[in-house]
Amino acid sequence: MLVVALLWAALTFVGEVLAVRLTPFRPAAAEEGDLIDSAFRSLTILSVPVLAFVLAVLAYSVLRFRVPGDPTQDGPAIRTHRPTVTTWLLVTTGLTVAVIIFPGTTGLLELHDRARHVDMVVQVQAQRYAWKTTYPEYGFSTWELVLPVGRRVRVEVTSTDVIHSFWVPAFRMKVDAVPGLVTTTVVTPSKAGSFQDDPDFRIQCTELCGVGHSVMRAPVRVVELSEFEAWVAQQSRSQ
Amino acid sequence: MAFAPLLRGIGFGAVGFLLGSGLGAIVRVTMGLDPWSAEALVVVGYIFGLVGWLLGVGVWGTWAREWFGLAARRGEAQGWRRYLRFSTDHKVIGVQYLVTFLVVMLLGGVLAVLMRAELMAPGKTIMTLNTYNNAMSLHGILMVAVAVAAIIGGLGNFLVPLLIGAEDVAFPRLNALSFWVIPPVAVLLLLTPLMGGFDSGWTAYPPLSVINAQGQTLYLLAFITFGFSSILGGLNFIATVIAMRAPGMTWSRLPIFVWSIFAASLISLTATQFVAFALLSVLLDRVAGTSFYDATQGGNALLYEHLFWFYSHPAVYIMILPAFGVALEVLAHFSRKPLFAYKWVVGAFMAVVGLSFLVWAHHLFTSGMSDFLHLPFMVTTELISIPTGIVFLSSLGTIWLGRLWLTTPMLFALGFLFNFLIGGITGIFLADVPTDLHLQDTYFVVAHFHYTIVGGEVFALLAGVYYWFPKLTGRMYSERLGKLHFWWVLLAYNVTFIPMFWAGLHGMNRRVADYSPELGGINLFISIAAFVLAASFLLMLVNLARAWVRGPAAGANPWKARTLEWQTSSPPPAENFPAEPQVVGAPYDYGVPGSRHAVVAAKGASEGEEKRDGDAAPRNQED
Repeated sequence: MLVVALLWAALTFVGEVLAVRLTPFRPAAAEEGDLIDSAFRSLTILSVPVLAFVLAVLAYSVLRFRVPGDPTQDGPAIRTHRPTVTTWLLVTTGLTVAVIIFPGTTGLLELHDRARHVDMVVQVQAQRYAWKTTYPEYGFSTWELVLPVGRRVRVEVTSTDVIHSFWVPAFRMKVDAVPGLVTTTVVTPSKAGSFQDDPDFRIQCTELCGVGHSVMRAPVRVVELSEFEAWVAQQSRSQ
Repeated sequence: MAFAPLLRGIGFGAVGFLLGSGLGAIVRVTMGLDPWSAEALVVVGYIFGLVGWLLGVGVWGTWAREWFGLAARRGEAQGWRRYLRFSTDHKVIGVQYLVTFLVVMLLGGVLAVLMRAELMAPGKTIMTLNTYNNAMSLHGILMVAVAVAAIIGGLGNFLVPLLIGAEDVAFPRLNALSFWVIPPVAVLLLLTPLMGGFDSGWTAYPPLSVINAQGQTLYLLAFITFGFSSILGGLNFIATVIAMRAPGMTWSRLPIFVWSIFAASLISLTATQFVAFALLSVLLDRVAGTSFYDATQGGNALLYEHLFWFYSHPAVYIMILPAFGVALEVLAHFSRKPLFAYKWVVGAFMAVVGLSFLVWAHHLFTSGMSDFLHLPFMVTTELISIPTGIVFLSSLGTIWLGRLWLTTPMLFALGFLFNFLIGGITGIFLADVPTDLHLQDTYFVVAHFHYTIVGGEVFALLAGVYYWFPKLTGRMYSERLGKLHFWWVLLAYNVTFIPMFWAGLHGMNRRVADYSPELGGINLFISIAAFVLAASFLLMLVNLARAWVRGPAAGANPWKARTLEWQTSSPPPAENFPAEPQVVGAPYDYGVPGSRHAVVAAKGASEGEEKRDGDAAPRNQED
């Protein structure tokens, strides 16, 4: 028992150090993306002791209880052990409820809450195999999604043909483009960037839509507000 | 002649197809349409062709003749010829399923190798975007079929009657029918490239699946037919477990594998109709002018996703429950200990059956469905970790203090635990709505479900195949090669799929023939590992094929196990047991002095195998 406990502690320690030190993804470029990354980190930190516990018992049992050759006798006739079962049920139920509450429900409520008030609206229309962005406040459309830093944006997504899915890896947020429906997602870009410098700044179709699905991408550019306003003025003139 | 039933089935099937498509053409003319429409004619032709095939292959001779007052013809066959006919012996049907789906699994594996070859580098490597989408879709549906039917249809058919001490399943002819509708499914799917293939994945979301190439129609017919087989199979297992148990085989003495098949059958009997309707409505949209999913005609594409997943999420428990059953069965016998917390496991299986119907919309968190549905489906999905946790409790409790006999099947059962642990934990990240918004439809999902279905279910399937191979064939394979196969698969599997989590987190979405160039390195690594993984299955093939032909005789009970299938000869006689077994105790009471699971009378006993289960005395009477 002590050996297993030590093994568990050691594996947990190593796992947690890795979970905290290693960042498994490039930094997000939207406030909602930071929330999602932090939920991912919380889940990783919560998972490590569970993973470590099962691995510790599994590894110890295999090494300690293996019998070379054919077994000549049976193990002890333990059919069940009520304290173990009760503890196990309490712990797994507790963990499940904990994960449902945090980061699940808390994150979900915050995302829903953020959707209530937005600073601007853009409309994105998916069609095989391109993304068209319309700025209803300014009355023009482009084939590039350009957003200002720090403004909360509701993206209204639809499709003219089959189901697509709107995903910007740098923002983390994703929502399907369904013909006949308008679906929405809310993003607040938090730092400037562009597709030329970082491939995560792209709209990527993530719902299989036909032959061009994998290359159905559009560039995304996040700029400072002043630059955005200049760009809007220029677009409005040229259209 | 050995091939007569097959040839008759093909002949009748061809006649039926011509008759049906001719009829379809006539109907079209009377409706004032152009008589020629490949899809419509194929649909009508297929329905008649399927009936013709089934009648020809054996339904008429062994079954339908009786409906018309004629004597049924029950030809007997011996040796390999049994497998080519409409046999009603559950053991023959089990082997038919198992061999069929192992072949389908290899075909699906070849497609996976081709896909990984394309993905070795960004840009085009060996195939066009369209070919990739078709190969990926075909890989998906073939492997889903394997996952649904290989354990239940193969191991379930062979073993459930033996494990409960029955002579056969409740409805043997229905059982044969369930199997013989499978070959047309395989033929349809393999013919899809002739009609342009289908590029909508195994999920076939409309409107894409309504407007794409005509191969989609063959896919829809195939999946509906396969569902029919699944419903009949589920019905048969439920009836068998309820009605065919040997005297004394109370519910609390049922081997856990039987419980798992029973639980999975409850789902296949009751959920499959929903996907059948979903697919049928797509088919009608394609060929009959309906508009279930055309938004411009009042349809709703999102409706399909709900219908589809209302079956297809429970279906993952059709896949994994029997895998739990096999793994726990193997762990108990090879730990030489009672299955820990058996009653809790039974409760957990039933809880999974119930919860499985309440979680489908977690596939739809990004679909645009109403926001208020996110929370309840996140909660129900997370709750499934409690019953699956009990499976881990039982597994760890069983090996703890055991006398672990690390044979090939035991290694695969332990490997199952390791892989399924990773599959289960990563599932939490996908059940959690905030993280799922990012991870949905990326390689993180690809890695997760391969961990549950390949690392989990297929490992359990292999544990079961190695465990029961001596019972199925009467022969023993090479343990050395079996263990080598295990270590090879375990390492190659994990090296292939762990990096996919990383790729998904770094912006690689799924179902893509091409990807951002910066993901080239990781994909090359995954592809090479995947080729090494694929090669390991050749080793299993060689080992098992050689053993089947000229392996050493296995004897009735090479694993010294207590359950009933080992208390009769290997392979068992047609009637399974020399006399009806009397069940007198629990199946896993290893280490309980004087306990026994069942008494099998000696009358005409083969190999003198009676009354040898569960003796507390040292087991030295092995042949």
